[in-house]
Formats: sequence, C-alpha cells, structure tokens
Amino acid sequence: MRRRYPLSKVWAWLFLSVAGLITVFPFLWMLSASVMQPHEIFRPGVNLVSEQPTLANYATALTKAPLLRFLGNGVIVTVAIAVLQLAVIVPAGYAFARLRFRGHRFLFLLVLAALAVPAYVRAIPNFLALSSWGLINTYPALVLPFIGSAFGVFLMRQFFRQLPGELIDAARLDGCNTGQLIWHVLLPLTRPALAAFAVFSVVSHWNDFFWPLVVIRTTRMYTPPAGIAFFASADGGENWGVIMAAGVIVITPLVLFFLLARRQFVASLAQSAVKG
Amino acid sequence: MVQGLTQQETIGASASRRTPRLRWLGPYLLLLPAFVFIAVFVFWPVIYSVYLSLQDWRLGFGSSRFVGVRNYVRLFSAPDFLNALRVTVGYTLVTSCGSIVLGLALALAIQHVRRLGSAWQALFFLPVASTMAAMAVVFRFMFDTHIGVINAVLTRIGLDRVDWLNGDLTAFAAVVVVGIWSSAGYAMVLFLAGLTTIPENLHEAAALDGASSWQQLRFITLPLLTPTTIFVVVILTLRSLESFDNVKVLTDGGPLGATQVLSHLLYIEGFRYFNTGYASALATVFFVILLVVAIVQMRAERWVHYE
Repeated sequence: MRRRYPLSKVWAWLFLSVAGLITVFPFLWMLSASVMQPHEIFRPGVNLVSEQPTLANYATALTKAPLLRFLGNGVIVTVAIAVLQLAVIVPAGYAFARLRFRGHRFLFLLVLAALAVPAYVRAIPNFLALSSWGLINTYPALVLPFIGSAFGVFLMRQFFRQLPGELIDAARLDGCNTGQLIWHVLLPLTRPALAAFAVFSVVSHWNDFFWPLVVIRTTRMYTPPAGIAFFASADGGENWGVIMAAGVIVITPLVLFFLLARRQFVASLAQSAVKG
Repeated sequence: MVQGLTQQETIGASASRRTPRLRWLGPYLLLLPAFVFIAVFVFWPVIYSVYLSLQDWRLGFGSSRFVGVRNYVRLFSAPDFLNALRVTVGYTLVTSCGSIVLGLALALAIQHVRRLGSAWQALFFLPVASTMAAMAVVFRFMFDTHIGVINAVLTRIGLDRVDWLNGDLTAFAAVVVVGIWSSAGYAMVLFLAGLTTIPENLHEAAALDGASSWQQLRFITLPLLTPTTIFVVVILTLRSLESFDNVKVLTDGGPLGATQVLSHLLYIEGFRYFNTGYASALATVFFVILLVVAIVQMRAERWVHYE
C-alpha cells in the first residue's frame, strides 16, 4: 500500500507553483524594470514587460556608480576571507579530531562558546581595535575579524573525524610527518568538505551588509551590498530603472555562483543541521 | 582512535627528526593560528564590551569615565530601547513562525510531487543565498506608494493604495514579508534533510493499518521530524533576532521606530551617534537575550531526545 499525503498532488503542484512565482517575482521584476524606459516605469497600472526594452539603464548605472569596483572589492574580500579561514581552521580542526592533548575538552568548549557570539556583540570592540591600528576603510578591516571562524573549526573537526583512521596510520607508517599528512593525505580527501565550507563562507561574506557599513568610509571601498544600498539611497528614487540595472549587475555573479555551487552550499548547511 | 595514537606515537618517535621532548607542542601549534584570531576578534570583544558598558564614553569626546551600571539603568528606562525590544520580539515571532510553517509546507509538497526535487529546492533557496541588501532595494521599489507594483495590483483589483513604508503597521508588515521571503527556503532545506531520515515503510505500514493521510502526517511525520523542527526553530529564531539588512534598507527603523529592531538600534547608537558605552550595554543585553533564547530552545531539544 502506498503512502498517502493530505491533499492531492494537484494541490501540491499548485502550492509550489504559486509559492515559486512569489519567490522569483522580485528577481523577475528587477530584471524587467532594468530594461524599461522611465515613462514605462511611471505609467500607472501593472507593467511587467517593456514594450521598447533598452540597455541604457545599464550604461547609466555603470557610469554613475563604481559597480565593477564594488564587485572587485567583493571578490578580493571574500576570497581573502575564505583562503585565510581555511588556513587556520584546517589545522585546528585536524588537531581536535585526531590528536590527544591536555585541555582538549576545554579548548573545544571555547570554540563552541565562540560560535555563540553574534556579530553585533563583537562590532564595537572590533571597530575600536581596527581603528586603533589605523585599518578603518581598508581591506584588512573587512577581512581580519572573520578569519578565526569557530564554525569552520567545528565543521572541519566533523569532517576529519569521519575519515578512516587506518589511512592515517598507513601514512604514518610510511613516515609522513603531520604537515605531510595534512597536505598529501587529508587535504585531497577532504576537498569536498573544504569546497563546501568555502562556498558557504563566500556567499555569507559576499552578502554581509552590516560590517562594511561599520568599517568603510568611502564609496569606492564598499562591497556590493553596501554599494548598491548606498547607490539606491543617494539616487532618491527617481531612476528606478537605473537602480534595478545596478541591482542586476551586482546580484548576477553571486546568483550564478550559487546555482553552480548549490550542492556544496546546501551540503554545508545540512551538515551543520545533522551534526547540530 | 586510541590505537591509532599509540601507534603513531611510537612510529612518530623513530621517524621524526624532531626531539621527542617537543612533540607535545604539535597539537597546540596546529591550534594556535585559529585561537589567536578567535581570541582577538571574538573573546576579547565580549570581555571588552562588558567593560565598555560600565563606562560613560562617546567616541571622539574625551576620555571615558566609570559609571557602574548606569548605562543599563538608562537603557531599561529609555523608551526607544523598550520599543526596540517589543518590535524585535514581534518581528522575530511572526517572521520565524511564518518561515517555519511555509518551509515545512514547501518541504512536504516537494516530497509529495516527487518531481524536479532539486530544481524546486534551488528555486526556493535562491532568496536565502541572494544579497539581502540588494533585494531589499527591489522590495522598496515594489512597495513604493505611487509606482510600486504591489499598489498597482491593489488598485487593479479595486482596492485603495497603501502607503506601505510610511505607516506603522504596514511598514512592519513589509519588513516581516521580506524577512519571511528570505528565510522560508532555509527552513525548507533543513526540513527536507530531516524528512529523508524518516523511513518510508513506516508510512506504508500505517497506510496498511488504515491510517488516513492526515493521521500519517499527525502521528508519523511530525513526531519523527521533531528533532529537526527544534533545530529549525533555534536557527530561524536566531536568524530573525539578528535581522538587519531588510530594516536598514526598507525603513531605516522608521516610521517613528515602528520597525526599530535591536540590531538596528545598536547600529544607530554605536555607529551613528557613537555612544560607545551606552551601545555596549545594549550589545551586552542583546547577547544575553540571544544566549537565553538559544539555551531555552536547546533544553527543549534535550527534553525531546530523552523523552
């Protein structure tokens, strides 16, 4: 006997379709308005499709705001964060998963405690520290606070624990030291895990809006979220077509990246869910 | 694990050129870089935050002065803080409940139709991964009183325009709608992962015993999903409590504080007015609230597991 669901499949399809439409509508709306002429945007009524599509809004957006610079900043900052995070969380995760040492439990509890500290609580002291080092409005200000990722250490520990111990013993027998072991044996094996974490890290820091607002002072140093928000508020809502074009330019790279790397992204979320 | 270690110790001692006396340092050296960064940028800030919260200090206005708990006293008698507390609780309750119910419905519907599973998943997860600040700009356009598409639809079906972002309740509703739009897919992904752990034959057995579809949902799916549900509740509550982007872009906390959540008030006090001491007290209270919420919900999890 087959499993039964409340409501028929037709209702499930209908629900998914309506919800799906609402979900993508803002994206479609942004895309559609980005190719509209100003008079089409201001015309009363529901205008979804432009009669005379134009790319002029894109040209205006690119000349009025340093959008490519925002994207470049985003790439520099997120790649720097992900690479430096991996450099510190891989060894730490390995130590917690595979080595025995005094204070193991206590130090791991510290990592769990660090997981609980929200960004807002760190904001003022981090800002004061960075400004006393003269780093306000620089890339290091956007990168440094996020390198020691407690979540990353936690995730790496989980991954290293799942690896078979025999492999490590075999490598040891062959005379690997810890560095060689991590580099030649463990890293290749954990590449999917590293990719999952890197994707997760890039997406969350690319989207971070709060921290750039705090430590960045000049438009040219903004990453995409703060850049687009600043551009939209500076414009005062007269050129929605241009703002939407800027939005499309800023959001497309990440959406493509997400669609390509979706499996890794969802995997790292599901991993954190299953292992809680 | 333990065997591996003893073996590794003996082999390592002969293979390694390092003196055995320094081998105990190894694990600590591996931990050092991560701990340096965590200490400087996570632990020290928590301690320093508490210290700052006991000072009267405006950044850029001379030196600080120890004032004991006066910032906290001021905080709990300040109308804007008490208002932010109310707004945050309301926003978090509505947004997290809405996202969880929608996410569960989406997960069940996707499981039901059995087609295009990963395409549906990608579609509904898109808002979670997309840049919230940029999408909030799009929503501001959609909620616009004169040329927004939402009012255009309302007038098309014969209703009056709504001045969405300038009315207390409607601005709150707008921020909540954007919050749910951006989180429902998160809940869905977690619920889908949880649903796959429920064995299909339980449902088949129940169906054989004549359980109706609603009975299967009520007595098999939902109970077995409880650990996932609690995890989702914890994650989504914390996520909603920390919402900032939609408020900043859509309303900037307005009109008259109607959408002033704690995170945004903290940003205003700390980085617009630079009331460093006062904002630190606010941050400390915010931290305590988050911790209490997380601990209470984790307790619920343990209770369910051991039941």
